[in-house]
Amino acid sequence: MNPPKPYRAKLEDKIRLNERFVQYKFELVEPNELAFSAGQYASIKVSDLGERRSYSICSSPAIKHGFELLVDLQPAGVGCMFLENLTFGQEIELLAPLGVFTIVPDKAETAIALVATGSGIAPFRSMLFEHLQVAQDTRPITLYWGMRHANLLFWEDEFEELAQSFPNFSFHPVISQAETAWPLCRGRVTDCLSTHEQPSGIGYYLCGSTSMITDVSKVLLKNGVTEQHIHHEKFY
Amino acid sequence: MADPQVKQIGKYKVEVIRDKCIGAASCVAIAPKVFDLDEDQIAIILSQDGNDDETKLLAAQSCPTMAIIVTNIESGEQVWPVK
Repeated sequence: MNPPKPYRAKLEDKIRLNERFVQYKFELVEPNELAFSAGQYASIKVSDLGERRSYSICSSPAIKHGFELLVDLQPAGVGCMFLENLTFGQEIELLAPLGVFTIVPDKAETAIALVATGSGIAPFRSMLFEHLQVAQDTRPITLYWGMRHANLLFWEDEFEELAQSFPNFSFHPVISQAETAWPLCRGRVTDCLSTHEQPSGIGYYLCGSTSMITDVSKVLLKNGVTEQHIHHEKFY
Repeated sequence: MADPQVKQIGKYKVEVIRDKCIGAASCVAIAPKVFDLDEDQIAIILSQDGNDDETKLLAAQSCPTMAIIVTNIESGEQVWPVK
């Protein structure tokens, strides 16, 4: 993987996905190309004091002259406030790419399961673009995405489209506070994992809160999945 | 005159406040020759001189809980977090 180096980028677009989540698009200024692996993140300078915050890159690595970040506005910390106050064209400083949370080239992983809650979905969007569209990975890839309410599933349409275009990709949204009419998985992602058959050979990638990672890992280990096939990135 | 290509090492000392560390590992990602995580997933110092001072400061600034203190050895001044 490429070592991290400093970049300047400018805000190109801001998409308010719902009342809680915002997708920021940045165009690289200098250097004007960023090579990263799907799943890596960027460290953004968010104050004049030098404070930095880390955000997973949610765009495809195939896009070299820019990148996208997903931000959860709750809680409204220094990073959120900085990004929300950016004007279009305003420059930011970042270090990228960082992190090792990428889909490993392990021949023993004959299928992939991506498990996310909330904004933990960010690195998986990048991974899906890379592995389905670019690498044309034909292994079964399943995405489990947990949210409290169905109306917060901001990328639901995108993932449904991917599922239509790539027969080896399955998308399972999981709603913890579902309305009665919700027809799909409800409860926690662990409940949904238990509902669907989990054959051997699956590599599990978990991204979200520490408690989700702990709970899902416990279930997987209890079901015979070995630690080497449980990969995770904690979001804070 | 100092060679601008040679990055400064040895002016900054870093220390980790274990109680504040949550194992985010951004310090490890930025300065892997200075920081690592122990078996409890808490940051530890491998070497004060593994990475240059600028990189060490960046690593400290990347910590979401400000668990890394950077001190200027020559002046004794705390450089990060800013007091």
